[in-house]
Amino acid sequence: MVNENDLRTIIEQVLADMNLNSKDGSSDTAAACDTCSSKTTIEEGFIPDVTEVDIRKQYLVKNPVNKEAYYDLKQYAPCRLGIGKAGARYKTDPMLQFRAAHSAAQDAVFSDVDQDFIDNMGLFSVSSQCDSKDVYLTRPDLGRKLNDEAVAAIKEKCKMNPTVQIYVSDGLSSAAVAANIGDVLPAIEQGLKSYGVTIGTPFFLKYGRVGAMDQISEITGADVTCVLIGERPGLITAKSMSAYIAYKATVGMPEARRTVVSNIHSEGTIPAEAGAHIAEIIKKILDNKASGTDLKL
Amino acid sequence: MHETILSVGIDIGTSTTQLIFSRLTIENLATSYTVPRISIVKKEVIYRSDIYFTPLLSQTEIDAAAVKEIIRSEYQKSGIRPGDLQTGAVIITGETARKQNANSVLSTLSDMAGDFVVATAGPDLESVLSAKGAGADKISQDNREVVGNIDIGGGTSNIAFFQKGILRGTCCLDIGGRLIKVENNRITYLFPSIQKLAALHQIQIQVGDTADQNKLSRICDLMAQQLAMAIHLEEPDAFHKELYTNQGNLLPSSPTLQGITYSGGVADCIYTEKPGDVFQFGDIGILLGRAVKRYPAFSKIRVYPAAETIRATVVGAGTHTTNVSGSTISYASSRLPIKNIPVLKISAEEEQEPGLLQKALQDRLPIYETDGAMEQVAIALTGEYHTSFSQIQDLAKAIIAGAGSVLATSYPLILVIENDIAKVLGNALNYMLERKKDVICIDGIHAGDGDYIDIGEPVAAGRVVPVVTKTLIFNS
Repeated sequence: MVNENDLRTIIEQVLADMNLNSKDGSSDTAAACDTCSSKTTIEEGFIPDVTEVDIRKQYLVKNPVNKEAYYDLKQYAPCRLGIGKAGARYKTDPMLQFRAAHSAAQDAVFSDVDQDFIDNMGLFSVSSQCDSKDVYLTRPDLGRKLNDEAVAAIKEKCKMNPTVQIYVSDGLSSAAVAANIGDVLPAIEQGLKSYGVTIGTPFFLKYGRVGAMDQISEITGADVTCVLIGERPGLITAKSMSAYIAYKATVGMPEARRTVVSNIHSEGTIPAEAGAHIAEIIKKILDNKASGTDLKL
Repeated sequence: MHETILSVGIDIGTSTTQLIFSRLTIENLATSYTVPRISIVKKEVIYRSDIYFTPLLSQTEIDAAAVKEIIRSEYQKSGIRPGDLQTGAVIITGETARKQNANSVLSTLSDMAGDFVVATAGPDLESVLSAKGAGADKISQDNREVVGNIDIGGGTSNIAFFQKGILRGTCCLDIGGRLIKVENNRITYLFPSIQKLAALHQIQIQVGDTADQNKLSRICDLMAQQLAMAIHLEEPDAFHKELYTNQGNLLPSSPTLQGITYSGGVADCIYTEKPGDVFQFGDIGILLGRAVKRYPAFSKIRVYPAAETIRATVVGAGTHTTNVSGSTISYASSRLPIKNIPVLKISAEEEQEPGLLQKALQDRLPIYETDGAMEQVAIALTGEYHTSFSQIQDLAKAIIAGAGSVLATSYPLILVIENDIAKVLGNALNYMLERKKDVICIDGIHAGDGDYIDIGEPVAAGRVVPVVTKTLIFNS
């Protein structure tokens, strides 16, 4: 057993040692502060923008067996391949690119489509029963239902019983809408006009899920309803858009009755060409009076 | 989705005439959630004819009736009727293409060989087809190398080379196994350039001479040397340029060749030793094969086995002439198929600026007039510079403004584009022309100025059309 006196001696000794250490430590800190406070120099220039890097052209593997062959392979798709490693981890540059892509994806989800853009496209705006992005993301059911103002506005402003009702929705990527609608929408309209198909009044639906098209179909009484909607962003592009098209959609109908054209963006299907393709699909749906798996394209 | 197209290849060469049938499988490679991407996924040769000596009436005339009889009997043997075919090519190659009646033979056969079969020839095309038949393009692509093919036939040697599967150049020179013919141990035929080549190296030779194997072997060595020069394994000498068919061009010297395949009738004598009399075929083919095999310069590069040797050209003609267009296109189906349409290619510079494009069309379309009447013509563009909707409208306006002379005829307006914009451009044109004019607007096809194009009837539920682009029918 250690008696009280011994214990006190030990503690005093330990405290004395600690004191000594902290003295040394404080002098170290002081020395370090001397250097850091010495001078801040401001350099000209900027940190390169990691999002400017074309990942098809970036090959970072050290001592490759056949760099050329791997590089050629990379040209087929913008995948994160051949980006090397630092120990078990990503290298700095790919790591930053990865985080930049992730941020762009989050921005695409959380930002709104610019109202000026919607106005310039000549669209009026309505909203689903969601009143914020948070509600939109947590309550998919509300994203499939229009609010009362929306129902009223559509009844008031849209041509009723059109052959084709087209509308635009933000979905999970506002960036996709901004990037593609300007080419896709007029290309669909022109294609349908050249087939002699008339189109209803297009509009914009905020906080919309794909399923909202069913209610819109019921309100307008359209033969074919087509929504152009932002896709859930990935790390390759945040600007990919889809078109979901259905013949006489009704609330509660099976998902299999929708025809979809996805991957519409500048690196995927060229938006204007996609629009022309969608117009043809709509024509086929009208001719066959069927969509989704009921229609063999 | 699977669909097959039946294709025929008929090759009437200097020494042999052959036919093959092949089956091309087309498939949509895209998922059903995206825009279709229909490609040829498989090419199989399903019937190979016997190999016939090309029947000639004289040194300058093909025996059309006999050729026709050969083809007719092969159709019968195979059980395939002309009506079963969707595509293919009849090709007159090598020295035969220079015969007086080559063109009329082609048209006779073209009519018999099916509804959509093209008649074509030309040494550049032959070089490409034989190299593809031999598989040099595939070896080059698979091994990421620069690989060439020398198709040594009776009258010409056709060379094409590829870098990573992409064509880098072609040439054709008058080196072949039947440029000297031997019968009963006497020389019965001698091609003038070969006589001259021999004379330059102090070897005198004439028709009627006894066939001296040593002397002919030395001439074959000289011919092998010329081939080595043609693929830049040796520096070309002063005479070399004279051997090019129709004053054609030399092969580009870069990229440097790494491997080679041999095809054509002589190739069999390179890859394998032919036993028996060296003049068993009545020509110097066996000697030429041996000469190429032993010529030292050729050992500098790797020799690959060819997928086809004597049949390389016909297999190439039957399986590698047809492409399919892009899968989003616009066409007036009542107008298809169309054949032998000359291509007017707009330069990149002219294409970028609508004003220049309009002017280029206005300036150059009159070339396709015959006696003041406009003939059919296909306008070719890259489509790289107009991809947004509003740019497409500008492009369509410029085309309509520039192609007034085509619009005034009863012919359709035909556009052939590389980049994937044909459907939206076709829609824009149809819209602006109020569908009063038939428009055929296809993409995924590269065509050059002076090429001819054939567009077949739609396949794959009307999504794509088979397309054959050809270089000039005949180099005169």
